[in-house]
Amino acid sequence: MSAAPSTTTPAAASARPIHRFTLKDLVLIVVLGVVFGFLYWALVQAWTGLSILLGPAGDLAQHVLLGGWLLVAPIAVAIVRTRFAGVIAEILASVIEVVFLGSAVGPMLFVAAAIQGAGSELPFALRRYSSFGWGSYALSGLLGSGFVFIFSAFRSGWFGQDLFFLRLGIQLASGVILGGLLAKVIVEALAKTGVVDNYAIGRALNA
Amino acid sequence: MNASSALGAVAPSPLARRNPTVKLAILFIVSLVLLVVFDPVTPALLYLLGLAAVLGFARLPMRTIVLAHLPFVGFALGILVVNALSRPGEVLVDLPPIRVTVEGLLVGSALALRTMAIGILSIGFIGTTDPVALMTSLHQHARLSARVTFAVLAGYRMLQQLPREWQVIRQAQSVRTPFRENGATRFGISEFGRAAFTLLVVSLRRGERMSQSLESRGLGLGARTVWRPVPLGPADWLLLAGTLGLLALVIAGVGTLGLGLGPGILF
Repeated sequence: MSAAPSTTTPAAASARPIHRFTLKDLVLIVVLGVVFGFLYWALVQAWTGLSILLGPAGDLAQHVLLGGWLLVAPIAVAIVRTRFAGVIAEILASVIEVVFLGSAVGPMLFVAAAIQGAGSELPFALRRYSSFGWGSYALSGLLGSGFVFIFSAFRSGWFGQDLFFLRLGIQLASGVILGGLLAKVIVEALAKTGVVDNYAIGRALNA
Repeated sequence: MNASSALGAVAPSPLARRNPTVKLAILFIVSLVLLVVFDPVTPALLYLLGLAAVLGFARLPMRTIVLAHLPFVGFALGILVVNALSRPGEVLVDLPPIRVTVEGLLVGSALALRTMAIGILSIGFIGTTDPVALMTSLHQHARLSARVTFAVLAGYRMLQQLPREWQVIRQAQSVRTPFRENGATRFGISEFGRAAFTLLVVSLRRGERMSQSLESRGLGLGARTVWRPVPLGPADWLLLAGTLGLLALVIAGVGTLGLGLGPGILF
């Protein structure tokens, strides 16, 4: 793999339509899913022990970190700037989580991932993948965490609990901060390293 | 940190010989059906059936099965306790600040047992399925495109190397970080963030090289043959029909006994 020739991408690639993924985009999305899947896995190892110790409070504390699970979608959208990039990134990340890293949450994670990916991608899609300000990222985190909350609330029976609004509030705040604003920080740091210069984000910055 | 334990080879067993796509479909369908089941009896029966199947046909070491239970048993207990304490309804125990309701116990145990049922099936699936065979089978039998299949397989290869990569990055960074006062190496949130970002950049760089080498081999241009095709035979269809039949039988049986509950109990 390391022996691969490093050629430069032809400039014609910038004329690519917004709905077509190149193989390079797909691999980038997979790599994002792999790295975040691995980091989540590392965190979850620590997290599971902590949540068992916390007992019932652990069930509530999951909302605090929920935003972190949203990160992949806005980062993928911002770099690739192609339709469905966020949804596909989330689904691939969940496949890696379940199939390769053996998460016991099971395949409902795929459904949750698709829903939160759709939520995270919506604000960017509405602006035709051309606006990447703080507001778009914040909205992305808000919608991602909000959408998946509805699904999880049904799946985990949060409706009708006394804690319903507390859960919703924590989760939305976490979505905005960890799943939205943090994504912008990471995307800009990545762009600064030059590692994503050959993707849509690099072409937009250099145009 | 050792992710290779989760990425090991699969031992031969009756369940390991079945088609991965079929197993994934079964897992998905059972999870989907359980989504609308809110009584404790159905998931409890499914858990026992799943446990029997895993013990009988997956040939996993007992230790693996027990250890794999830990995360979701903890999670299930949390769900049970939270629901029992925080759901309004007919009060069973009232010792302020503790208040346990009948509805809470019912819904809590249903959800906890659902987690257990899906958990044991996931153990059976993951423990008997080789990820590469799964991706190949999805490509062959579920029309997953070659580009996606090989991108994910490349990602899988990368995932196997990540623990080592992580270790190298951590060691390189901790060598340059001042020790704590007691001589221990520092590893807090900022260290984790720094190492994580480095890992991300290194991996993205390697991913770009990977996609160039895949493209240079003409991936995604035309139809492809498959190395080591995964078989899909009558036994797989039998497994699918048998499990779904059993699932229908359990649900019908519980329903006939009047023990079944739908999502209506939440509201």
